[in-house]
Amino acid sequence: MIAVLFEGFLGTIKDVTIALAPVVVLFLLAQVFLLKLPRRRLFRIAKGVIVCFFGLVLFLQGVHVGFMPVGEMMGITLGDLEYNWILIPLGFVLGFAAVMAEPAVQVLVDQIEQVSGGSINKKAVLLTLCLGVGISVALAMAKILMGIPLWYFILPGYVIAFILSKFVNTKFVTIAFDSGGVATGPMTVTFILSMTVGVAQVLEGRNPLLDGFGTVALVAMMPILTILLLGFLYTRKEKEES
Amino acid sequence: MNLKETALEVLYSTVPIIAIISILQFTVVKLPWEVFGKFIGGAVMVILGLILFQLGVNKGFLPMGEMTGARVVAKGKLWLILCFGFVLGFAVTVAEPDLQVLASQVDAVSEGQIGRYILLISVALGVGIYVLLALLRIFLNISFYYLLLGSYVLILLLSFFTPPQYLAVSLDSGGVTTGPMTVPFILALGVGVAASVRRKGVASEDNSFGFVALASAGPILAVLLLGVIYQ
Repeated sequence: MIAVLFEGFLGTIKDVTIALAPVVVLFLLAQVFLLKLPRRRLFRIAKGVIVCFFGLVLFLQGVHVGFMPVGEMMGITLGDLEYNWILIPLGFVLGFAAVMAEPAVQVLVDQIEQVSGGSINKKAVLLTLCLGVGISVALAMAKILMGIPLWYFILPGYVIAFILSKFVNTKFVTIAFDSGGVATGPMTVTFILSMTVGVAQVLEGRNPLLDGFGTVALVAMMPILTILLLGFLYTRKEKEES
Repeated sequence: MNLKETALEVLYSTVPIIAIISILQFTVVKLPWEVFGKFIGGAVMVILGLILFQLGVNKGFLPMGEMTGARVVAKGKLWLILCFGFVLGFAVTVAEPDLQVLASQVDAVSEGQIGRYILLISVALGVGIYVLLALLRIFLNISFYYLLLGSYVLILLLSFFTPPQYLAVSLDSGGVTTGPMTVPFILALGVGVAASVRRKGVASEDNSFGFVALASAGPILAVLLLGVIYQ
């Protein structure tokens, strides 16, 4: 049983070595020419790098043997059901849970409360973000089930975002556009994306490469829109008051 | 950040999804038990891996990056800062776990048509170039809004010339460069440079942010271009 988990382990080690090589080389050069840190300090940093290496190996191995195949199989099974519309509410739940749990969201929520001088309630921000991302994963599922091109969501989404930005306080604009990454954590990429790829595989007339991908893009777009909308309401309220 | 804090953060962000998947397994999906066993084993590895990775980044890469960044900025030479920004953006993106996963997924689904390494390198180049642009923006005092708007107009234009299979992949690539490796480095660099420029009285105050947004527009453009070239 345990042996199954380490299938292709050498390949993962090779991938991680290649992945970390550029940063390590960059910092070695920096150490030689610029920093010249004492040996003890360097030793502590090297320990961190080694821990990081093993962490990345374990993570990728776990994703390859567990998350990716199971995500895909779940997508295939659910997409094949007669009532495969169930994917839409399920997508909502997955998206909602993915943001709710993301530590980066807490930082964002605090930032917004600060920028708005406390007048935008933290809980309201968190709830709208969760709803927004929930809707975006639900849309990702609907898009595959109905065969709607990704562009039909992304294009109007960004057009609205850029127009809204014109009416929103600049502080909100940068926070909003920076927040795109808040919900696209490892869980979205490993599991939810594998699932949509699986659904696109099993449905007739769908191409997994064309229809399966795009989920991360939708999840990245929604927080931008949500926060701009909050900022818009806030800016309008502020103007009314003054 | 200590072990307990890191472990809790990772558990918070993974356990809810794992729970939903387990509920599905018991109700609707019913995959073979050995497959589900592999999932649980994999989940344990993912959790342990993310904890170690996060700890390692905080103890190893991040202090090194901050020290180097501070030194480079202190030298005050624009070309040196821009070069460093480009190389750092490239190097940390290659190490980004989310991107590693996306690249192997794309490789598998496209049956090698969009290969793992070519995608990694294009995305990393995209981030590198856009970190450079974002830094240049601070010095030249160009508005964040117009730089971003220009990038997205370019994305729209390129999307007409790239084969359709690159489109969704390119937009997804923009989302995976905002992961646990890229964000802390790019933010630290942006804040550091913006602070040093502000001391000289050149730039306005909101310049330190917008780095992450620009760093996710770069890869989209890079992958779209890759499609145009490969066509």
